[in-house]
Amino acid sequence: MLKNLCQKMFGRSLWVYHANSGGCNGCDIEVLNALTPYYDAERFGIKLVGSPRHADVMLCQGPAMRSTAQALKRAYDAMPAPKLVFAIGSCACGGGVWFDSYSVIGPVEKIIPVSYYIPGCPPRPEAIIYGVAVALGLVDKKVAPVEFKELELPIPRYHPDELRGNDELVVYEKSEKI
Amino acid sequence: MHVIWTSLAVLANIATVLIVAPLAQGILRKITARIQSRQGPPVLQPYFDLLKLLGKEDIESGEYPLMQRFAAYLSLSIALCIACFVPMGFAVPLGSAGDVILLIYLLTLSGICTLLAGLAAGSTYSLLGISREMMTMIALEPLFAIALVVGALHTNSLALDAVLGGSAYKGVGIPLSGVLMLAVMLLSFQAFVQRIPFDISEAETELMEGPLMEYSGPKLALFKYAQMAKLILYSTLFVALFVPWGSTFPAPIGWLLFWMKVFVLVLLVTLVAATHARYRIDQAIRLFAGLICVSFVALVLATYGF
Amino acid sequence: MSLRSKFDETLLCLRAGRVTLPYPAQPQPAPEQFRGRPIFDAAKCIGCAGCANNCPAREILIFDVSQEIRVLQYLGRRCTYCERCAEVCPEKAITMSRDFENATDKIGDLGQRLELFMSTCQRCGRCFKSPSTLDELKMKGYRFDDIENERWIFRSQSRLEGDPVVDDVEIELD
Repeated sequence: MLKNLCQKMFGRSLWVYHANSGGCNGCDIEVLNALTPYYDAERFGIKLVGSPRHADVMLCQGPAMRSTAQALKRAYDAMPAPKLVFAIGSCACGGGVWFDSYSVIGPVEKIIPVSYYIPGCPPRPEAIIYGVAVALGLVDKKVAPVEFKELELPIPRYHPDELRGNDELVVYEKSEKI
Repeated sequence: MHVIWTSLAVLANIATVLIVAPLAQGILRKITARIQSRQGPPVLQPYFDLLKLLGKEDIESGEYPLMQRFAAYLSLSIALCIACFVPMGFAVPLGSAGDVILLIYLLTLSGICTLLAGLAAGSTYSLLGISREMMTMIALEPLFAIALVVGALHTNSLALDAVLGGSAYKGVGIPLSGVLMLAVMLLSFQAFVQRIPFDISEAETELMEGPLMEYSGPKLALFKYAQMAKLILYSTLFVALFVPWGSTFPAPIGWLLFWMKVFVLVLLVTLVAATHARYRIDQAIRLFAGLICVSFVALVLATYGF
Repeated sequence: MSLRSKFDETLLCLRAGRVTLPYPAQPQPAPEQFRGRPIFDAAKCIGCAGCANNCPAREILIFDVSQEIRVLQYLGRRCTYCERCAEVCPEKAITMSRDFENATDKIGDLGQRLELFMSTCQRCGRCFKSPSTLDELKMKGYRFDDIENERWIFRSQSRLEGDPVVDDVEIELD
């Protein structure tokens, strides 16, 4: 019973460790904005801690670089289970515009498994809080893949040899041979 | 019969500390948030924090895992031991089992737990944290010891019930030493409970949380609980020593009045913590050195009966 | 650092009340001209691939299934919401919505895929005998980005083939 209580309390108090593995610090500033009084993240019980051993959630920013990949993996391994990883910003979600640079390995998910993605460049503090709310189950996520198909087969095909007529009226007369 | 009453009183004290300590921390965080013009966490947040920490995985890390375990168990048990020697509205539960000297030793031992924790981790950050904590402790523990000794000098006894009954003012004529010690304790109270102007060693993002760096899960819950309990314990000791008025009322009113005084002190701690910045270690040591000089003057005055 | 100044500081902050925005409870719209997620309007798109050529993160992939069918896939992963695709679109088929609430747990949720019918010109048409693979390579207009592996295929001379070199250097820590 105590175990159930502890697991339910996991969502009420998330302690956050902030790991920037090579980003431009734009997303860092937005994360720090989310902890200021205007967009207060502490009302959800979120606290910024200084050591990965104390933390439940790792906020990753910046793409995974060749120089910091090992450090990032070690910080992730140091966190006690159960743990979540949020990838904040376009660089952490997919590599950003630097995805094929010489020093970038790629998105953060190539090194550590990511639980939630918060894209944006940088994401607004409200977007970060929205992502946290999605993770806590307070709101539903809003994006879904969109697919659009414009065509129905068979497609009528017009060959210039089969178009008769001149002036205004052009008639399509299908000849027997294709 | 006596044994049953004593054990009931001990259990009541321990239960009170265990229940009230996270509540005081929650109120502290909420008031800090309101002073910073934001909506803070709910008041029951520290209970959620502790429960969540109990549910995490326990990683034994650092250089000496055995000492890590020992330090964690020691911290909360020392805090609960001190709770048995502190009057919380009623008489001291284990008054016949110890005296003021034991109380001074227990208070110092609770500071040593942090040093052991940092040693167990063995990394640079934690060693730096415990060196700062050692310097702070050397300058700080004598202040409370001198306050208790002043009370003991006034009442000519080392028994806890006598000393912790507002004994600082019981001298001859104007209680000079009592007032001096009151001022000294008010100025250094924040350091005893490890709050903002003086939380140099722990919970500090400069040092990656210092001595507690390698703790995770249940052991961290024990340490955090001990820290929360220290706030309540030091507040009750302060109120028992220096604010005794109103403790002579009959049972429910006297108890309520005592706890109101404790919460006023917690409020004062919060207000000071929310409006100040952290001191550097040398600034803090200079302040404590000055306060030790003043408290020696108070000690000398107390020997002469003032 | 006098006591009076601390007191005044506390009163000042308390006078401001509570400034926290009740954000997830109440919606907080973004200001005008905020660049949120791009929305591709398939009714207006003519499949010119201008957006794909202009995207700095190479997020838009184009693949020609056949003469008439062109697949345009926008993967949302690396998009930096810079609006270069919308600026260059001749039909104004891409609009940057003001939608910033894009958090998700599967990164594929942000993708938009359009399969477009490239209509043939009534006169000259695109329906001539489909060229051989070699001719396809030489011909402008045919695009075959790698949709399964979600990679752009670069066709310029200066681009070397293969992935950039990674995992070749072991960097030791302490």
